Amino acid sequence: MRGTNTAMTIRRSAAAMLAACAITASQTLPALAHASDRGHVLLLPTGHYIAGAALAVAASFLVLALLPPERLTAFWRRRLPLGSIPDLRLPVSLVSFAVFATLVAAGFIGSRDPLSNPLPLTIWTLLWVGLTLAQGLFGNLWHWLNPWYGPYRLVSRAFGAKAGGDSPLRLPDWVGYWPAFILFFAFAWFELIYPAPDDPARLAIAVGSYWLFSFAAMLAFGFERWSRQGEFLSAFFAMIAHFGIVEGDRQGNGLKLALCWPGAKLNEAEALPPSGALFLLATLASVSFDGFSKTFFWLGLNGINPLELPGRSALVATNSLGLAAMFILLAAIGLLAVLVGERLVRSTQPLQKSTCLFVWSIVPIAHAYHFSHYLTSLLVNGQYALVALSDPFARGWNLFGTAHMPVEAGVAMGANSAWLLWNLQATAIVGGHVLAVLVAHLLAWRLHPSAARASLSQLPLTLLMIGYTVFGLWLLSTATAG
Amino acid sequence: MTDSKRFFDLGKSGLTRRTALKGLAAGAGLMAAPGFVRYSQAQSSAPIKIGFQAHRTGIGAAYGRWYEKTTNAAVKLINDAGGINGRPVEIIVEDDGTDPKRGAEVVAKFASQHKTDIVFGTLFSHVVVGSAPTAGELKIPYYVVSEGYHVASGKLNRWVFQPGITDVRSQVTSVAPWVAANLGKKVTMIYPDYAFGYDHRDYFAPAIKAQGGEVVAQIPIPPTESSFTKYLPQIPADTEVLYHVMVGPGVLTFVKELGEFYGSNKPQLFGFIDSLEAVDINSPGLEFLDGSHFWEGSPRYAQANDSEAQKAYRAAVGIDDNGASTTDAKDVSTAAHMFGCWETLYVIKKAMEDSGYKGPEDRAKLVEATEALTEFKEGPEHPQGDKKFNGKIHQVFGHQNISKVEGGKLNVVHRTSIEDGMYEPEGDYTTQPL
Repeated sequence: MRGTNTAMTIRRSAAAMLAACAITASQTLPALAHASDRGHVLLLPTGHYIAGAALAVAASFLVLALLPPERLTAFWRRRLPLGSIPDLRLPVSLVSFAVFATLVAAGFIGSRDPLSNPLPLTIWTLLWVGLTLAQGLFGNLWHWLNPWYGPYRLVSRAFGAKAGGDSPLRLPDWVGYWPAFILFFAFAWFELIYPAPDDPARLAIAVGSYWLFSFAAMLAFGFERWSRQGEFLSAFFAMIAHFGIVEGDRQGNGLKLALCWPGAKLNEAEALPPSGALFLLATLASVSFDGFSKTFFWLGLNGINPLELPGRSALVATNSLGLAAMFILLAAIGLLAVLVGERLVRSTQPLQKSTCLFVWSIVPIAHAYHFSHYLTSLLVNGQYALVALSDPFARGWNLFGTAHMPVEAGVAMGANSAWLLWNLQATAIVGGHVLAVLVAHLLAWRLHPSAARASLSQLPLTLLMIGYTVFGLWLLSTATAG
Repeated sequence: MTDSKRFFDLGKSGLTRRTALKGLAAGAGLMAAPGFVRYSQAQSSAPIKIGFQAHRTGIGAAYGRWYEKTTNAAVKLINDAGGINGRPVEIIVEDDGTDPKRGAEVVAKFASQHKTDIVFGTLFSHVVVGSAPTAGELKIPYYVVSEGYHVASGKLNRWVFQPGITDVRSQVTSVAPWVAANLGKKVTMIYPDYAFGYDHRDYFAPAIKAQGGEVVAQIPIPPTESSFTKYLPQIPADTEVLYHVMVGPGVLTFVKELGEFYGSNKPQLFGFIDSLEAVDINSPGLEFLDGSHFWEGSPRYAQANDSEAQKAYRAAVGIDDNGASTTDAKDVSTAAHMFGCWETLYVIKKAMEDSGYKGPEDRAKLVEATEALTEFKEGPEHPQGDKKFNGKIHQVFGHQNISKVEGGKLNVVHRTSIEDGMYEPEGDYTTQPL
């Protein structure tokens, strides 16, 4: 029945598209393209900002080259103890699972409007945008919020297995991060290219299936193993949590917390396997492509009128290729920068090791761009999320007293907001790249324990980072559709 | 600010997105209450379901938000006044992503899954054109609020109507007499080089010629441009009126560069507010527009002579005297177009009442009843003004406003007659079988 319906829908859609093309060809059609808030940004002196930002990143490299690495590292290693808290991982994860299950139910039976249904707003705005930022700023909150851990513990306990004990199947070592890489690409494709990622029911099917699939994989290969290498959210969140300023050390039944510098946890980080390095690059490529795919430049390149955007359905093939190309290009340039740097200092280190160590410096850039790219969406859709969560099933409930809160879209509208948001975005991009330069520098010193050699080896990577600063700010200031 | 008591008593509570839903929940509760005579009224008390094909995501999202607010405000009033044929109205929102292919899917979903009585509310032309064949195939009435000429052109089908907003051909035609008489007869047109711009080019040129004027130059701008200085020297020196309909993020840059090009010695400017819909007219870069004129469907700013119906409409939707949200002064509405949702819903109400509409089996009767409508009186149901409806081409005709930018506001200086926007119909849907 379902198959028949789908076939009919497809036939109808095809007929509709043919008719649309026929009519479009035979007559002219008006369409409104909104003079969006990017219009205000186009009037700002963004070129000056971009030049200034490039200089700032270059200057940070020079300053670091002059500072003795030992001192920097010692400074970086400082911790400020915050005390201990009980480890509530199990109960928090169970609550998180219950909330997740409720949201999936809301996806099926709640409002069909993606700005009224809490599922798309929670997944895309609160989780993917909000929690990613919180992870990168504070640390591994996902360790507790993970909706698989609690159910996994309950199920394994019911079957008499010990936590951390042997899993029925063993994930071979060569698998590395490839499962997470593939699953992340599927996720990015669904978010950026699939025509209807916000549709509550389709999203409920997608996230519900993903939860079940991951849960099965965790039962098969062990929770820790699959979370590290297979479940892409956990893998990604664990990586960016290295840059959070709160560090948690498990001690008995509690967690000992300490404040640290952003990225300080990298001191203990090992080089990633190549699949892990590519996974990190994919996260940066996806968020960059999201911005890039909406630029007049990209649309013009593909012969698409940005003022009359044909919608996602018509762009699936173009943008799928674009996303893949962005990733390949980024990976190739990154590899080239490390290769040239290592050649400059006649390094004896294997290229794979240095590349997979330096890739950590991508994280603050990805994080800064994540913030800048999604800032408007977080500010506006975050409000819609608060409203929707109070009435998840559209029954007229007001669970948290926010169901009737007016959503103020104006927070991101007008010239003043555009100026403020642009400055926040530019600051974040520069901050992220400066931190990336610092991280790369300290990692280089680990590889080449001579300040001069460490700096020289970083020259090409720094050039790449300056280039990416310019690219990132250009993405945020050039004309875009929508 | 407004006296809403006269037509609609909304009290002091603002209308939120959920008010309509709450009302429905209460209605459902009533049906389940003990003693409720379900057998006799179950059929007639079931809500009229209106599928709202909304641009919630994609490039239409900024418009979609205000279309939704206006729709909810109208539905609340309709329900408070007893609904349609004694039944409450329920709005079911589906996002089309401002995507023609999804638009068609959404129409199919409304018809077969949600089993809505009709589909309503689409703005973007390409979504209307993409969805219309599905509406025709599934025989579900499809009421759009798109201002495109595609409905009136006769090239869609009998199930598609545009009874709440005038089409671009009519708008463009109707302003020509005033432009020729008040601004000048030698016109240069600057427009984006695609369908939207071509409508203006193709319909304004003959209209101004009929008034003894002429288009001295037509300057199409490639849609991907974001700087315009190289095109401005193409404007002939003897231009009296510069007719501009630029859209997209480059509009502010266009106006700023135009100001730099001309300085204080400028021709008269005439534009369509589509260029700056939902944008604060006092934004930096737009100073050059001071003293220029714009077409507006419904005025953004409250006018001194606003009718009580207009005042009540503005209060119900929640826009202040500047046309921005009453709860968020920075959120400028899409006032020139969104009134069309309100008026369309009242047309649907009228047609359902005229046809004694009971359910999907009466859809054909609803189509015929809509086609039989001829005019709408100005009032609470049609706050933008009175209108004439042509049942053969499924298109409404109405007054247009020409506003001048003065003191940081748009003041209406002329209101066209309905006849100013009339043209010879090119089709007749009523000959198509139902």
